[in-house]
Amino acid sequence: MGQRGEFKTPGGKLVAVEFDVTDGVLRDVVVTGDFFLYPEEALPMLARGLEGSPASLSEPEFATRVAREIEPGVELLGTSPEGIAVAVMRALQARPEAGGGR
Amino acid sequence: MSSEQKALSGAEEARWREAPWQLIPEEPRPPHLNMALDEVLTERVARGERPPTLRVWGWSGPCVVLGRFQSVKNEVNEAAAAEHGVEIVRRISGGGAMFIEPRGAITWSLYAPKSLVEGMSFSESYRFFDAWVVDALRDLGVDAWYEPLNDITSSGGKIGGAAQARRGAAVLHHTTMAYDMNMPLMLDVLRIGREKLSDKGVASADKRVGPIRQQTEMLRQDVIAHMVSSFRDRFGLVDDRLLPEELAEAERRVAERFSRRDWTHYLP
Repeated sequence: MGQRGEFKTPGGKLVAVEFDVTDGVLRDVVVTGDFFLYPEEALPMLARGLEGSPASLSEPEFATRVAREIEPGVELLGTSPEGIAVAVMRALQARPEAGGGR
Repeated sequence: MSSEQKALSGAEEARWREAPWQLIPEEPRPPHLNMALDEVLTERVARGERPPTLRVWGWSGPCVVLGRFQSVKNEVNEAAAAEHGVEIVRRISGGGAMFIEPRGAITWSLYAPKSLVEGMSFSESYRFFDAWVVDALRDLGVDAWYEPLNDITSSGGKIGGAAQARRGAAVLHHTTMAYDMNMPLMLDVLRIGREKLSDKGVASADKRVGPIRQQTEMLRQDVIAHMVSSFRDRFGLVDDRLLPEELAEAERRVAERFSRRDWTHYLP
């Protein structure tokens, strides 16, 4: 996993986003953290809007793409599409991690 | 907040009293089995096969309990965990990693019908489920309060955290509290990044853990006994035990899922 960024919503929870940037787009996006999500099986939805997105998008554009994929009835607590977008921007600004992990 | 004032209001207490609560008392169990039992018992309550239940957990060994959505490498120093014989397990609910030593933690679960928290937001339901414990701790002179979204905290630091999962018509609310904490070992095993502390006003060490023992001389088992008697007095509580079929089902799920690497490390 190349790029990694984190964001803790003040008074909320931490979200971490990891991905590779290949040919200018986000690939193999994984979203983790200590947030709450109901139902739990909805986790892949959080990454779905980011997968294949151009790395050149703005923070609000990432947030919109994340929000679009979260289906009605799914509850996300402690973070938000906007919080996930902040983590994405931080990941893009970070240097790729050599060898993956830390 | 005055010490006279209860965290749980009279109207809320009436809601609690409507349920025929049963108690599964503490018994040391392997960490993976504790994870599986939460799922099995929540499903049993959802299907109406078990009355609403309070379970006090016992632990047979040290572990790190990861939240459902956490990455192992971000939360745990696996080499340090292995060196100290600390197991890595993953629970069914979201939230953050907990470092557990059998005599240092007080963990309890509530398996309740969703109707108990009908009309409440998720955030309100966390406060509602933890309020009786906040009151019980205050009885002991511990200066505790609920802090949104899911913490029990005190002037001495964070005491514990809660998480919830829902299955059908039932809700699981479980809370782990620090009774005593081996801070050097915890800091060796858990990775606690700066970002996690960014809104806590503290520069280092895990958002200042404030174990209960810093504020009371009472032994761990006496704190638990007081919690249980306080619950019994306010809401009613009938002594029960884990049924053989519940244990068997949980053991089956440990073998099939909870002890497997594709569960514990599904987010590596």
